[in-house]
Amino acid sequence: MKILVSIKRVADPDNASKLKVSSDGTAVTSEGLEWKMNPFDDWSLEAALRLTENAAEKNARVGEVVLVSIGPNDEHTQRIIREGLAKGAERGILVEADDANLDSNVVSQILKAVVDKENPDLVVMGKQAADGDSNVAGTKLAARLGWPIINYAMKISTNDDGKTLEVKRELDTGVATVKVTGPAVITTSDRILQPESVKNGITPADHQYAKLEVGGRYASLKGIMQAKKKPIDQMSLGDLGIEAKVALKYTKFELPPARSGDTTFVESVEDLVDKLHNTAKVI
Amino acid sequence: MSAQTNPLIDDGLIEFLLYDVLNAESLCELEGYEHHSRETFDLFLDSVRRLARHDLLPTYKPMDEELPEFRDGRIVTHPSLPHLWRKMVEVGVLTGTRPEAVGGQQIPMLVHMMATAYLMAANLSAYGYIGLTLGAAHLIEAFGSDEVKERFMAPMYEGEWTGTMALTEPHAGSSLADITTTAAPTEDGYYLIKGSKIFISGADHDVTENVVNLALARIEGAPSGTKGISLFAVPRLRPENGELVSNDVTVAGLIHKIGWRGLPSLALEFGDVGDCRGWLVGEPHQGLRYMFQMMNEARIMIGVNGAATASAAYHEARTYALERKQGRRLGDRGADQVPIVEHADVRRMLLRQKAIVEGSFALLGTAARYADVANRGPESERERAHLLLDLLTPIAKTFPAERGFEANALAIQVHGGYGYTSEYLPEAYMRDQKLNTLHEGTSGIQSMDLLGRKVVAKGGAPLRALAEEIALAVTEARAAGCDAELCDAVEQATDRVVSITMELGQRGMAGDTDGMLGHSWDYLDMMATLVVAWQWLRMAAAARTRFKDEPTQQARLHGTEAAAQYWIRTEVPRISVLAELCRTAEDSYLKAQPDWF
Repeated sequence: MKILVSIKRVADPDNASKLKVSSDGTAVTSEGLEWKMNPFDDWSLEAALRLTENAAEKNARVGEVVLVSIGPNDEHTQRIIREGLAKGAERGILVEADDANLDSNVVSQILKAVVDKENPDLVVMGKQAADGDSNVAGTKLAARLGWPIINYAMKISTNDDGKTLEVKRELDTGVATVKVTGPAVITTSDRILQPESVKNGITPADHQYAKLEVGGRYASLKGIMQAKKKPIDQMSLGDLGIEAKVALKYTKFELPPARSGDTTFVESVEDLVDKLHNTAKVI
Repeated sequence: MSAQTNPLIDDGLIEFLLYDVLNAESLCELEGYEHHSRETFDLFLDSVRRLARHDLLPTYKPMDEELPEFRDGRIVTHPSLPHLWRKMVEVGVLTGTRPEAVGGQQIPMLVHMMATAYLMAANLSAYGYIGLTLGAAHLIEAFGSDEVKERFMAPMYEGEWTGTMALTEPHAGSSLADITTTAAPTEDGYYLIKGSKIFISGADHDVTENVVNLALARIEGAPSGTKGISLFAVPRLRPENGELVSNDVTVAGLIHKIGWRGLPSLALEFGDVGDCRGWLVGEPHQGLRYMFQMMNEARIMIGVNGAATASAAYHEARTYALERKQGRRLGDRGADQVPIVEHADVRRMLLRQKAIVEGSFALLGTAARYADVANRGPESERERAHLLLDLLTPIAKTFPAERGFEANALAIQVHGGYGYTSEYLPEAYMRDQKLNTLHEGTSGIQSMDLLGRKVVAKGGAPLRALAEEIALAVTEARAAGCDAELCDAVEQATDRVVSITMELGQRGMAGDTDGMLGHSWDYLDMMATLVVAWQWLRMAAAARTRFKDEPTQQARLHGTEAAAQYWIRTEVPRISVLAELCRTAEDSYLKAQPDWF
């Protein structure tokens, strides 16, 4: 099975409180923040790695994961690709583009062009990016490809190397189970990190992955050294025959209002209920 | 502050130390490190710090509260440990520095140290299993036969088994020459071991199925004293016909410790029923020599334990001081309460902790860098790096442990009355920290080692090398535009330390041992104060060069300069007092008789 996984570099979401809005309000500035792999993409990479390995044989690879990242061709973008390779992916592709010229419209165009080149059996993506939170690139890509889209996957199973898949989707109202014939685009939710979330028909069905606390597996030192020898192909939009035309324009950003931090002490439960109901008006 | 949000160690500090102060990238030019680059260092650091914050730290308090149990002759350890062990092994910290031939990736010691410091800060006892296993396996790697390596080292490096250091006996702790455990040769290649050991950390647990004790024992008929001690691999279970069978190693008791509570410390009996087998590591009678060759590494690791534990507590105190509102600015009656960091004395306590914690990391990183150069540097630089590493080792072990304990106490102090409760973490960090002044040679022993052995070695060459290094740092600090008064103070203190050392050395040569060593503790204190001042001057110079024109790094620049100023202004003046105690051999306790106490 060959899986394409898109990964985006985002300003360190653990330090989102340090983000600032430019003085004219039209851009978010992340000066002084480190670039990290979008955590949602880290989850989808974990799912893709589980689909293409035998976990019972020291995670022996039985398929191929190709990473694609779109962004400036600098050490930050390269580093997150290298991090994905160190976790186990086979190859990387870096499509050079300016952040200012990217929106879900352009991104889905680029990804379609990469899919046309690579012919993967599946595209597995984060459901959204931690910076823009737009949540549309996966769906747009599927529409351009004419492939099925399965959003918010929390469990993925296949017994025929990805030709057909059963996917459980996490919804507000419960869990929906869908059967799909590949190729397809899947976006994942954080529950894909659960110990039994991925069954690929090769890793023994009773295998329990270790519990992951917040993200996908850690890159091991051995994986990091192996990743140095793995290729990262670099290409431009021109190489893919794409003219970047953003369809979406951000007109204004503002920071959430600062919390007042006022503390009110209450004497009794009745008093608390009264304050919540009449003063704060939250119940 | 919730445990999960403690950064443990400031990432920016580590980046600054590695790349701006200690030039870690240049290590990639050394033989055997060519395959590394800053990118591999950063990716490794990133993995390890995430493992520390997300997996190890949340288990710290539960492990401190739920103690190991002694049940039916076995030790039951905290249930989270097997998972943590597996993850630490997988990420590569166990074999990171070892050569590829034994499954490692040969990463510089400096980088490995800075990465593993996060694990220590997150959960000292969980990392303890790694430290012990690495120490035990490395001893076999260095001195064992191929057969012993295959049988015992390989399963340890693969993370299948753990290791211990089984040196101490009830009557022989610091005085290893007096151990009495015996080893009787057999015709089958192994020895029959008999004796009692105590304070053996991690000798039984349910983290892995087996444990290999690296034990010191006397072969029957061996000479007495240190020259008759041999090193053996004594597994809890021994491999026999493809399975593991009991090796007559019994747990005699579980010691109740005040810290490091996830790592059981045990009393062990070897050979209760006469069937405890040990395999000789290396040559007979060389055990103590082998141990001491590994001692630098072990002692420096204790120093990192100390710096890491002080760092975790410092970050608790820092966050608390920024958030806790109490009192008003002086003369500001009726105004809103302010965070306690606004009070001068709280800032004093934070800056002191910062100076100790960051000064310790810089000193330890410097020692690790010398270790890298001593092992893999150009032939012409190795000997000098070795001299400096040997000289700095007792200081790099003791300063973070002793002053770290002081920093840990200050972290409690910043928390006020809350700090004296087990609801907050600083009290636990302080209990953990205390062990670091005791194990791998107490602070007193380190001070004798420093003054009695290290500074006087090779006709004083190590001290001359150190003085040259400090002079170079002073020159660079002046060039970078650091405060001339601070540069002068470090320069003068260095001269004072060199001259008193020469005087004490001459006393030693004249046979006046008490006159030389009576104030070894003050000497160590003096030397540690100086080398940490040296580190702060280097950091201040590097910060000016690197951050002067970077708007986002002004806080780091000013914080570094303030800590350097603090250390040099408030601590360096003590050097002349301590030197005077050494010079006059001040005799209040030297003359004291046992019945005076």
